[in-house]
Amino acid sequence: MSTEAIAVEKPKRNYNVLFGLTLLALLVLLWILLSVATTSFASANNIANLLRQGSMIAIMAVGQTFVIITGGIDLSVGAVVGFATVVVAMMINAGFPIWLAILVTLLVGVAIGMFHGFGIVKMGLPPFIITLATLTSLRGIGLLMTNGNSININSDTFTAFSRNSFIGIPNLFWMVILVGIPAYVFLHHSRWGRYLFSVGSNAEASRLSGVNVQRTIYMAYTLSGLCAAFVGVLLAARIGIGNPTQAEGWELQAIASSVIGGTSLFGAVGSVHGPLLGAFILATINNGANLLNVNSFWQRIITGALIIIIVYFDGLRRRGK
Amino acid sequence: MTSTAQDLHPAPVLEPGRTILELRGLEKRYPGTHALKPVNLAFKSGEIHAIVGENGAGKSTLIKLLTGVMPRTSGEVIWEGQPAALATPHEAMALGINAVHQEVVLCRHLTVAANMFLGEENSRFGILQQRAMVKEAQKIIDDLGFDLPAHVTLGDLTIGQQQLIAAARATVRGTKFLIFDEPTAYLTRKEADQLFTLIRRLKGEGVTIIYISHRMEEVFELADRVSVLRDGTLVGTRNIAETNDAELVKMMINRSIEQVYHKEHFTPGAAIIEARNLSGKGFENVSMTVRAGEIVGLYGLIGAGRSEFVTTLYGRHRKSAGQILWEGKDVQVNSEHDAIKLGMALAPESRRDQGLCLNLPVGLNLNLPIYKRISKNLLISSAQEKTQADRQIADLRIKTPTRGALASSLSGGNQQKIVIGKWLAHGAKLFIFDEPTVGVDVGTKAEIYRLFGALLSKGAGIILISSYLPEVYELADTLHVFRRGKLVATHGFRAASHEDILTQALAEKQEKLGGQI
Ligand SMILES: Nc1ncnc2c1ncn2[C@@H]1O[C@H](COP(=O)(O)OP(=O)(O)OP(=O)(O)O)[C@@H](O)[C@H]1O
Ligand SMILES: [Mg+2]
Repeated sequence: MSTEAIAVEKPKRNYNVLFGLTLLALLVLLWILLSVATTSFASANNIANLLRQGSMIAIMAVGQTFVIITGGIDLSVGAVVGFATVVVAMMINAGFPIWLAILVTLLVGVAIGMFHGFGIVKMGLPPFIITLATLTSLRGIGLLMTNGNSININSDTFTAFSRNSFIGIPNLFWMVILVGIPAYVFLHHSRWGRYLFSVGSNAEASRLSGVNVQRTIYMAYTLSGLCAAFVGVLLAARIGIGNPTQAEGWELQAIASSVIGGTSLFGAVGSVHGPLLGAFILATINNGANLLNVNSFWQRIITGALIIIIVYFDGLRRRGK
Repeated sequence: MTSTAQDLHPAPVLEPGRTILELRGLEKRYPGTHALKPVNLAFKSGEIHAIVGENGAGKSTLIKLLTGVMPRTSGEVIWEGQPAALATPHEAMALGINAVHQEVVLCRHLTVAANMFLGEENSRFGILQQRAMVKEAQKIIDDLGFDLPAHVTLGDLTIGQQQLIAAARATVRGTKFLIFDEPTAYLTRKEADQLFTLIRRLKGEGVTIIYISHRMEEVFELADRVSVLRDGTLVGTRNIAETNDAELVKMMINRSIEQVYHKEHFTPGAAIIEARNLSGKGFENVSMTVRAGEIVGLYGLIGAGRSEFVTTLYGRHRKSAGQILWEGKDVQVNSEHDAIKLGMALAPESRRDQGLCLNLPVGLNLNLPIYKRISKNLLISSAQEKTQADRQIADLRIKTPTRGALASSLSGGNQQKIVIGKWLAHGAKLFIFDEPTVGVDVGTKAEIYRLFGALLSKGAGIILISSYLPEVYELADTLHVFRRGKLVATHGFRAASHEDILTQALAEKQEKLGGQI
């Protein structure tokens, strides 16, 4: 009964794990090199700083990855972060309790994501377009709300959170774990996560299987918006102001982290640990370049080159399989 | 084996012979096409009902209406005495109507198990029970006698194997009514037998089955009744015992065909291409020659290395050893571009992935290989573009409203005609056709074979790959049999029996094979 089959290989999971380990090795290697090359890199202060820098991009990258797995893209996340800092700052300054301010901000993120879902599913707009439109208009709305000024947040409890640590690890990094673990369970162990992959792989097949494709798309963008709004709250706490022009270009960093982490822009391939590692690799490069006094223009070039190299090798491996 | 099967899909309690599903004036219009004119038809529970008809007759359209994939224009569907809206695939599935569609529509990136349970995952407190699902999927697959692993990524399987998974999947969903739309198009004979066993078993359990095929012998082998569609109209329904091949063909195309396999013999000329001890990914040490005016057939199971061999000739893959001689001269074919420059043309096996630009017009697809010829200084001659396309459409009877219609809007068989047609106008010396008549109706098959004759008469040579033995058997001047990447036997025109060739391709004991068929 032998079907003349292609050699049946180990499940793809192994490949994912291997790729994750490679990224982790790259990250550790960077850390070792920088510890040797500079005196300040390995200091507790700098590491904490690095973790804070990386954490926010990492959380955005997780949401972004959900969207990319469905074959879409969310260009609005940077603007959502900026907008969220304004919302949370205004509410806190208006005397609302902090928990309420945060909750409302998160709901704003959800609403923006739902709007994207609506544009894609009901209006038939390409994800690139609808999220690009939100990117520019959200910054505009934020500027109108603030008259172009920054809002200084007058709550120390709120801002202290981002500076503090818990058992030696910065609170912001704990937030990555808070988001990462449920995100992992959601993506790889729940049926909703499974549908993100199936829609990205073949939307028609999913529809024919009774999967609610529209709802899946709504969900992906909503989660991305939610992650971005959450990062907005964290950023506002970290810098102590609300300003709609904050987080400029972060959407590209989030996409880059996701892609470095093995997400395919064609959809249906991605993980949670990949983008997290990707974000910290990027953060390490920026941090290290600063310490080494590398011109910040060079940092951008290095980031670009790194994206090409990693994605190229990842593609080679996949094809070679 | 039967008892476990009973556990998996408990037999629906239906008295056989009762009407389970009835179409009343069911109609479908697409923009520019009246695909299904009002159709009245009743399906009896527990029957295997074949539907046959030319490419574009409306068979798949009918299926799409029944499975909620497309909304109908008008008419009614009565399911077990109640009108059913069938607005979404979900609704059809809830009633127990499932389908294995013409093109495999599954998710290539997901595992076999994930595909089997897509939309019906087994989860506890929101957490997927992955291990349990893989185990259950494997049990179902083993139980059906398919030798396939459940944990691998679907995209790693051949199209035929994917089709079997699609069939296995449709059986696990509490199915009462199961539709197969040309399921054997990509299957080897052996896989087809496994599928037939499955179909008969489902019938035994009281499931009603619609079976669509262009292969008459399958219809006669399986069906209890057969309905014929022509141009969206139901021409008639017959009990299988009271009809024959000729009558059905007549009903289908409104004329009779005296001979499908039209074979012209030419005296072979000089060698066009020769492979000497060629090895590459998926095949080893293959030597063969194709001469002007002859058809060289390659037969074997899917995955036996035939496609890999020809794509290596065609420069898509690197050879690892051996020589390729083109008109007697040693050549390096490093890319498809090199191959086309030498004078080769390849019509690939997987039309959706390799053969067509689905979201571009029919005319553009047909002209793609010849734009160089029909343009001057980079500017395309639009007059020639039109005449060329229209000629192909007429020659091959491609059923399309205009040459401007998108390839994706054509019926499966008509898409296949484009894949073939686009190379016919190309003045190549060596044509490689990989499964050229998959899903093509009888009339057009005859047409395509006649065109092969025309190519040969102009001095071209043809390599014909087919998993459908009668086709290579009746057409090939030289027939090579492949097994597991090796060329294991070579025969002249009709020089060996079907049984011998099958045995060589399978390398299994004759008795075992006989037992299966
Ligand atoms: N989405 C669509 N848009 C426009 N026209 C369509 C669409 N789908 C099918 N058609 C047209 O409807 C007619 C019937 O197509 P259908 O797919 O039902 O044929 P079929 O009998 O299944 O043929 P085949 O044997 O080639 O699969 C064809 O003329 C086809 O071009
Ligand atoms: Mg069809």
